[in-house]
Amino acid sequence: MLPETLNSYVLLSAVLFGVGFLGVLVRRNTLVIYMCLELMLVASTLALVAFSRFNGTMEGNVFVFFILTVAAAEVAVGLAIVVALFRRTQTVRVDRLDSLKN
Amino acid sequence: MAPSHLAFLVLAVPAASAGFIALFLRRQGGLASAVSVLAALAVAAGAGWLSLHGPRFEASREWLRLGGLTVSFGINFDDLAALMLAIVALVGLCVHVFSLGYMRDDEAKARYFGGLSIFMFSMIGIVLADNLFMMFIFWELVGFSSWLLINHWYERPSAAAAAKKAFIVNRVGDFGFLLGIILCYHLRGTVNLTDLAAQASSGAAPFSRAIPLLLFCGAVGKSAQLPLQVWLPDAMEGPSPVSALIHAATMVAAGIYMLCRIQVLMVNPALTVIMWVGTATALYAALCAIVQSDIKRVLAYSTLSQLGYMVAAFGMGTYFQPQADGSYHTASGVSAAMFHLTTHACFKALLFLGAGSVIYGCHHEQDIFKMGGLAGRMKLTFVTFTIGVAAIIGFPFLAGFFSKDAILALAFSSNRAVFALLALTAILTAFYMVRLWKIVFFGATRSEAAAHAHEGGGVLTGPLVVLGALSVVAGWRRFYPAAFAGILNNVPEAEGRAHGIVLGVSLTVLLIGAGAAWAFYGVSGPDALELRAPGLFRALGALQQCFDRCYGWYVAKVQQRLAMALNFLDVIGLSGLVVRGTAGLAGLAGLGVRALHVGRINAYVYWFLGGVALLWLFAAGIL
Repeated sequence: MLPETLNSYVLLSAVLFGVGFLGVLVRRNTLVIYMCLELMLVASTLALVAFSRFNGTMEGNVFVFFILTVAAAEVAVGLAIVVALFRRTQTVRVDRLDSLKN
Repeated sequence: MAPSHLAFLVLAVPAASAGFIALFLRRQGGLASAVSVLAALAVAAGAGWLSLHGPRFEASREWLRLGGLTVSFGINFDDLAALMLAIVALVGLCVHVFSLGYMRDDEAKARYFGGLSIFMFSMIGIVLADNLFMMFIFWELVGFSSWLLINHWYERPSAAAAAKKAFIVNRVGDFGFLLGIILCYHLRGTVNLTDLAAQASSGAAPFSRAIPLLLFCGAVGKSAQLPLQVWLPDAMEGPSPVSALIHAATMVAAGIYMLCRIQVLMVNPALTVIMWVGTATALYAALCAIVQSDIKRVLAYSTLSQLGYMVAAFGMGTYFQPQADGSYHTASGVSAAMFHLTTHACFKALLFLGAGSVIYGCHHEQDIFKMGGLAGRMKLTFVTFTIGVAAIIGFPFLAGFFSKDAILALAFSSNRAVFALLALTAILTAFYMVRLWKIVFFGATRSEAAAHAHEGGGVLTGPLVVLGALSVVAGWRRFYPAAFAGILNNVPEAEGRAHGIVLGVSLTVLLIGAGAAWAFYGVSGPDALELRAPGLFRALGALQQCFDRCYGWYVAKVQQRLAMALNFLDVIGLSGLVVRGTAGLAGLAGLGVRALHVGRINAYVYWFLGGVALLWLFAAGIL
């Protein structure tokens, strides 16, 4: 088992962030990309909470609310855009949304 | 009205006329001709009053200031300017009236009369200018007017080529002129003529050989001296009134006038060069005139020859002598040259207008071997043309007799070699003029056109009569108004024994030349010289053409190759490498940046990753 120190939590956060970033890079479905974005956000939240726990302060915990609020607002707007895009182009695959390509 | 204002009006009226014609009367030939002739009349009236009754004055206004250099626009109206202005205005008026008749049936009358007005404006500008810069500006304008008028029948390729040739050859001379002006400004600090005279009389400034010789280059170009005389015979492509005004009486005389204006800058070595150039031109042109068969070309070479006389006279003149009281005594060379210029303007304009009348009568036939027998058919033209011929060959008591005698007297006392050459030229002058006179007017008519010749009407013959009268009286200096005494008071006259010798020589050359021509040339058949001495005929023809051939060779072989090399540099180097190269570089940069905008979201995220990595490297201190 990993020791219960700050490092392991930050490592977990980093791994989650990396997985999320890789997903944004590689996946083709817009909705999956959104989920990976959320994963990245959650990873950063985790890191913040871990710092807060191991330093005995409350700021990190409070930050969680901010981040989750922002994530929710962003998802609302983003999903609205995806729905509008789907109505126009009948697809959510990113590699088909290339009308800006010359 | 103040005299300076009147002088300015005399300058501005032809310009206004030209502008008005160019803007509003492009298609109305009749109206344009009326406007132009009225302008010429106004100019003649104003110039006449100014020259004869008006005071002599100077007026100037600053026009441009560039650092230390001030270019001013001014009028220097002394006796020399008064005389020249009178000549230009009077001959100009005669030519304007003549053109009314000569260009009666021409389609582009408006352009022609606009050109005449511009020419009058430019020429009066040269006459009135008080500094060399202003003179140079109007000098170039006169060249432009000459181009415009030679080019009148521009559908003819020969006319277009002749106009180009005239302008380009003039430019070559003007290059020297401009260098002279710059050098004068550099060495003397001023280009104002009065200031230069003041400097010379006070003896303050150093004398330089280069300034007068460079300024003389302008006269070589404009007055068609050797080696830049090639444009004048070709300039006969223009209508005859144009030839009379520009290429006989006024524009080509501008070079002589300019020399007289800059007499304060002359030094003896420069004067010697000028004298020899003039003498050589006079002799060369007289030799070429003998073998010409176009009536206007004979007169063109005759003009060249007489201009050579004037330039030689100037060159022989006594060195400019400043007086104790600050004024200066007009050199005898200047007086002789200006006197001959005056008489020449009268009889040469008469001859050209007479030739125009003949050409008009023969329905635009210019070959003298297709004329003949016109004495009976065009009586008034015959009489006036005879007066003109007599004047130019120095018939006693007509205009040319006195002025040519003055030049010969000057030559007799200065340089015997020049005297001999000028006397020889006088023989040749009499020879070719009588040849022309006999072949055109006597014997049987040689062609259909000549058989139906008729006078052109009062508008054509009026100016001929006026100029004929002038050719008779212009030599009698006693009758000249006192207004011109400042210039003509020093006309050289031989004293004592020399007087007899010069008189004898001039009468002898007249008799030899005229008599030989009358006896030698028959009234029918081709050119007698060509028939009996074909070798000599061909040699003279080759002499005439050698300059053109040299220039043609130079332009084709040397200049054209240089121009092609420069063109290569321009197309490949400048347009290719520099201009299109920089455009290409900009394009490459654009292509590079365009790679950022592929339209695929994945690609954008990769770029984003790259940016984040770059930022991290910066933050970590690695970059």
